[in-house]
Order: sequence, then C-alpha cells, then structure tokens
Amino acid sequence: MTGSPNPASLFETAQRFFDAAYWASLLKSDIVGNSLRLILTRWVAGIMVLAATAVCIHILMLPLPASQLYIIGVVILIYNIPLTWSVLRIRELDEPEREVRIRRLVTIQVVLDWVSMSFFVHLTGGISSPAIPFFLIHMLMVTILLPGQSPYIYLASGIGALGLVAVLEQTGILPHYTVIPGLPSSLHTNLLYIAAQMVFISTAAFATVYLVSNIVSRLRIRERQIATLLQTSQAVSSTLSLQEVMDRLAHNAAGALSMPGASIRLLDESGRQLRMAASYGLSRSYMDKGVVDLSRSRVDQEALEGHWVIIDDVTADLRLQYPQQVLEEGIRSMMVAPIIGQSGALGILRVYSHQPGAFDDEEAAFVMAIAQQGASALENALAHDALRKADQERAEFVRIVTHELRSPVTGAQSLLRTLIRGMAGDLSETQQDILSRIERRLDVLINLINDLLDLAASKTTMIKEVVEPLPLQPVVRQVIETLSTQADEKHIDVQYDAPDEELIVTAGPDGLARIFENLIGNAIKYTPNGGSVRVTVEKASAGVIITIADTGIGIPQDDLPNLWNEFFRARNARESQIMGTGLGLSIVKRLVERYKGTISVCSDEGKGTEFSVRLPANHPAEPHKHEE
Amino acid sequence: MAKILVVDDDPDMVLAARLCLERAGHQVVEAKNGDEGLAKVKSDEPDLIILDVMMNTTTEGFQVAHKLRSPDPKSEYAVYKDIPIVLLTAIHSTSPVRLAPEKDYLPVDAFIDKPIDPDKLVEEVEKLIKK
Repeated sequence: MTGSPNPASLFETAQRFFDAAYWASLLKSDIVGNSLRLILTRWVAGIMVLAATAVCIHILMLPLPASQLYIIGVVILIYNIPLTWSVLRIRELDEPEREVRIRRLVTIQVVLDWVSMSFFVHLTGGISSPAIPFFLIHMLMVTILLPGQSPYIYLASGIGALGLVAVLEQTGILPHYTVIPGLPSSLHTNLLYIAAQMVFISTAAFATVYLVSNIVSRLRIRERQIATLLQTSQAVSSTLSLQEVMDRLAHNAAGALSMPGASIRLLDESGRQLRMAASYGLSRSYMDKGVVDLSRSRVDQEALEGHWVIIDDVTADLRLQYPQQVLEEGIRSMMVAPIIGQSGALGILRVYSHQPGAFDDEEAAFVMAIAQQGASALENALAHDALRKADQERAEFVRIVTHELRSPVTGAQSLLRTLIRGMAGDLSETQQDILSRIERRLDVLINLINDLLDLAASKTTMIKEVVEPLPLQPVVRQVIETLSTQADEKHIDVQYDAPDEELIVTAGPDGLARIFENLIGNAIKYTPNGGSVRVTVEKASAGVIITIADTGIGIPQDDLPNLWNEFFRARNARESQIMGTGLGLSIVKRLVERYKGTISVCSDEGKGTEFSVRLPANHPAEPHKHEE
Repeated sequence: MAKILVVDDDPDMVLAARLCLERAGHQVVEAKNGDEGLAKVKSDEPDLIILDVMMNTTTEGFQVAHKLRSPDPKSEYAVYKDIPIVLLTAIHSTSPVRLAPEKDYLPVDAFIDKPIDPDKLVEEVEKLIKK
C-alpha cells in the first residue's frame, strides 16, 4: 500500500463502488459500517434536497429561494465525495489508528451536516420550516454512531444552531423566507411561537437521544459479551494447560463486565476448602489471604448449590469468610458463580467491583455462562494434568530404580576388569575364560539398564529439555565421528552426504544426537564386516530428510510392524550374537515425534535397511512473496 | 609416583580404582564422601583427585569440585585449586555431545565413565599429572 492515491487504486475504488458484495462486507464491520451508512444516507439526502426543491418550486409552485437550495444540495453531494474516499482509505488501516481516524471523520461529518442543515432550515422557512424533522433523523444517526456522552454535545450544538437561525431571522439580520403561502409572514418574529417550537423540538430531540443511546449502549454491552463468550470458548478449547484455562476465564469474566477483578477458586480433594487457582486484577496480599473454608463461607456454599450469588454491599453481608480483607482490597460488591462440570462442582468464579450494587441479574447470568463454558475446559485440563503427573511419577520411579541397578553393576564391572587385567594376581586360562563370560553378561545387563534410563529420560527429564532451532549437520557429523572407531573395527565404510547450506531444525541437542547415535549405531552393528553405511541429509519441501541406509542383515517383513515397540527385537537380530535390548528404536521414535517429525523404515532381509527421518525445518523467514 | 585421592561412596569402585592405580605405581588415599574428601585434600595434599559425581546427593561431586576451584582468593581451598580433578560420571559412554570439561561450567579437567576401564583411568591420570 502506498501513501498517495494513484490511477490504478482510483480505478479499483471506482470498480468496487459497483460491487454489492463489497458494500455488504463493509457494512458488517461495526464502526466503518456505521460511517458508511451515514455517507450512503447523505448521498440520498443530497439528491432528495435537489428533487424536493424541484418538486416544490415547479409543481407545488412554492416561493422558495431555488438557486440557494440547489446549491446546498450540490454542496452536500460534493463534500460527500472526499468523505466517501476517506472512509474507504481508513478502512485499510489497522487498529487503533483506524478507530481514532474514523472518530475524527465522524466529527467532521457531523459539523458539515449541521452547517448545511442550518442553511437548509433557514432557506425553507427558519423556525417555521417544515424540514425541521430532518433534524431528528440526523440526531438519531449521531446517537447510534457515537458512544457515551458525545450525542448530547451534538444535540446541544444542533439546538443552538437552530436557535441562532431563529434569532437572526427574528431580528432581521438574516432574511426570512415564507415557504408555505398560507402562513402569516410575521410568524418568524413571534417570540411565543419561536419559544414553543424550540421547546418542542428540543424535548423531542432530547427524548430521542436519551432513549436511543440507552438501547445502543445495552446493545454494545451485549455485543461485547457475546464476543467474549465466543473468545472464551475458543481460547479455553485451544489449550490443555490448566493454569492457562483458568487465567483466561478470570480475565475474560472481568473484562467483559468492565470490572476490576475476578478470581477462580477450586475445590480441594476433600471438597471442604476452596483454593485460589487464578486471579485477575487482585493484589498479592488479597490472593494470599488463605484458603476459603466452605463451612465458614455461606456465599460459596450457596453458589455451589448451582446458582449465582450477588453481594450488593460487602459491608452489610455476613456471608463472607474474610470481610476485613475484602474491604481492604477496595471491593464493595461481588458476585459468585459456581463452576460445575459433569463430575460435579469444581469451584467458583468470583467477579469484584469497587462500587456497591454493581451487579444485576443480567450480568450474573453472563458470568454464569462463562463459568459453564469454563467447566468443561477445566475438566479436560484437570484430567490432562492428572495423566501427565502420573506419567511423570512413573517415569521418575523407573529412573530411580534403574539408577539403583546401575551402581552395583558398574561397581562389579569395574572390579571384574581389574581382575581380568591381572591386577589382583595371575589367573589360569579357565578362570580368565569364566571371568570374560561374566564380563559379557554384565555388559548386556548394563546396556539394558542404560537404555531403560534413556527411555525413562525420554519420558521425564527430556520433557524439560529445551527445544530450540539448531543446525542439523554438525550434530550428525559429530555422531558419525564418535562411531567411527566401531565402524573402523568392522571395516565398514560410512559415507556422509549433506548439502553445504546450513539446515536448521527445532530440537534438543541431546535428543537429536541420541536419534542418530541409535540409528547409525544400529546400522554399523547389524552390518557384516566390510559392508557400508550411507547417511544422507536432504532438504525437502517442508523440512529435512535424513536417510540412514546400510548393507546389513535387514529386518524380516513380519517384524516391521513391531519394530517400534519397547523391548522388541527382530528375529534375525535375536538369533545373531549381536547384543541389543530392543529399546533403541522406541526411544528414537519417541524423540522424533517430540520434534514433530516422522520416521519410516524399509528393509530387505539379508540385503539392508533404510531408515528415513523427516524433521520440520525452521526457516528464518521464507522469501515467498515477490512484489513486482 | 603420585598421590591420588579417590572420593566415592561406593567401596567397590574405590577398590577398583585403587587396584588400577597402585598397579601403575601410584599411592591412593580414600574418602567416602564430599566432606571427608575436602578434609583429605587439606591433610594429604594429593597430586590428583578422582571424584564421583553422585554420592549422598546427586550433586555432591559437583559441589566439592566447585569448592576446590572457587575463584575467591580468600577461599580456604585457594592453595589447592591447581590440583587436577577427574570426575567419575554415570553418563554412559555412547553419548558424544553431553558433558565436556569447560572450566566455567564444571571446574574439572576430565571425565571418566563408570564402569572404570583400568587402562583409560591410568592413561588419563598420568596425562594430567604430567601437565
């Protein structure tokens, strides 16, 4: 978008002018729509002035100042052109600038309209003009368009303008046009008539503004509430984090009613106490005031029976457990809504106000609706929380147990090695052989324990592992280097092929290395002497693909579906003398999925295996858009 | 010949280290926990310290290392801060990119994995003593 209008955008604007769907879409958005309604009305009004003047002069033969009236009609149409243009331009802006500019534009429109309306009234007979009711229509539009007290200011200035025209005509400073031939020509000098007209017009205008602004402000509140409700349902269903769900509920409940504070308290396991779980706009000391004991808080007891409770004046209500702290917080009235899920009462949602009597039934019903909506989201989040905690506890248990298993085994291994190396005296050949067999069995055991530790870690500690954008190739290269000793021992040729361009993936460094240690380590382990392993890194459409292909023993077709299961080992792997626990691939899969990737395998028994890991790439910023 | 302090709560691990090191001609001093280890540093003034990461608590070994290598010149261990430290870790040997002896992060000179490989232990210890 450029700042100044150019022919192309002028043409586009003109084209849009005849597009009904475009206008319909504009009218939908509240503030811009209202301004456009005013502008569309003005096009009609300008044409009506011209048409009515023609009819009155040529058909009704009224003695009107024709040329001046035509001029007014044309002037209205002319100043409506830049106004239309502006409102279309402002529509393209972003909030909050759009809001500011559109309000300014509305003010300009109203002032211009008052001036042209005053001239129109003057030319059609001043205080006795039959066109005065237009004044009310205009007032109505302004009241709908502008919030708060501003319609009253416009009302006063409108009445003032009308009064000014009447006074100027009465004193003869402005000429008077008698447009209805039967009316007495001195009517505009009759003070009683002027006063009566002014009183009736002002009363009617004031009543109109008062009634309409009341209705409009109610509608605005409703609109905000509906929007909040919608927003709440979207927000709470899009997250499973318990704290986030509750924070949003408290924030939305207070925000939608324009109240300073809200809080959520959840029932504890005993069902006898309510604990502060989330709050909005409350002081720390208030939140820390302690748990609410249900037996001592009548207000919450009543709410938990299933209906809302309003406390109009906290000083005069005995149903609160902490009346002193409530007063110190500046709270003067509050309402309590129960949060009731399918499994029963979960807690309460409170909204606070600094003014006494701030809540009526309508607002309470709205808070109830938010609480109800929150209940199911809260139940989901609670269930999710409990599951995760159980999972973590189990994994932590596994971790401690495996650690306890590791220590004795590594102790035994360390001692055994000194024995085998003859550090504790010479050994016979049979003794040496027996000890070597024991050493091998212990090696199997320690590998199993290490894998179990990894598995537990992939469920617990690595959840805390920081996942961040990191370059892929150095990690793969490092792993290949570490494993090169093993590969050299078996005379296995490890080829590595990767693009020069640095590919960034979102992962944890340890977990990423673990994936390739397992896959490349397996490839070397299950490939006979003299074979080869090929590691390829490729850039793909939405990420990177890392392929590890070997010329090893392969995996039987029947075993492929179970390959990712914990402790599963393929038939030919078990039958071989190669040590393994069957945990490596399940760890790999878990990690790949944590990094939002996928892994697949294809294999030909006796010929080789190929694993493909696809990880989503983390592109800094895709230069997709080419602006011509 | 060097004097080496082995700090570990696992007596089997201490014995294994002692067998390897004495065979290579070194003298071994033992300590069962971090506090005893620090006391032995003062009383025996070893040439090198082998420290288990996890003793009573999971970080006891780290804490001992941090005390010995405290940058504070008034620290009671300031005079010992040049004694090489080898950390015995439970982190297994297949992991390439995990702990590396960075002075700021972990004030140690080398890591040795459990179970102890006698040749590696002696090799690492002698390399550090020669420095």
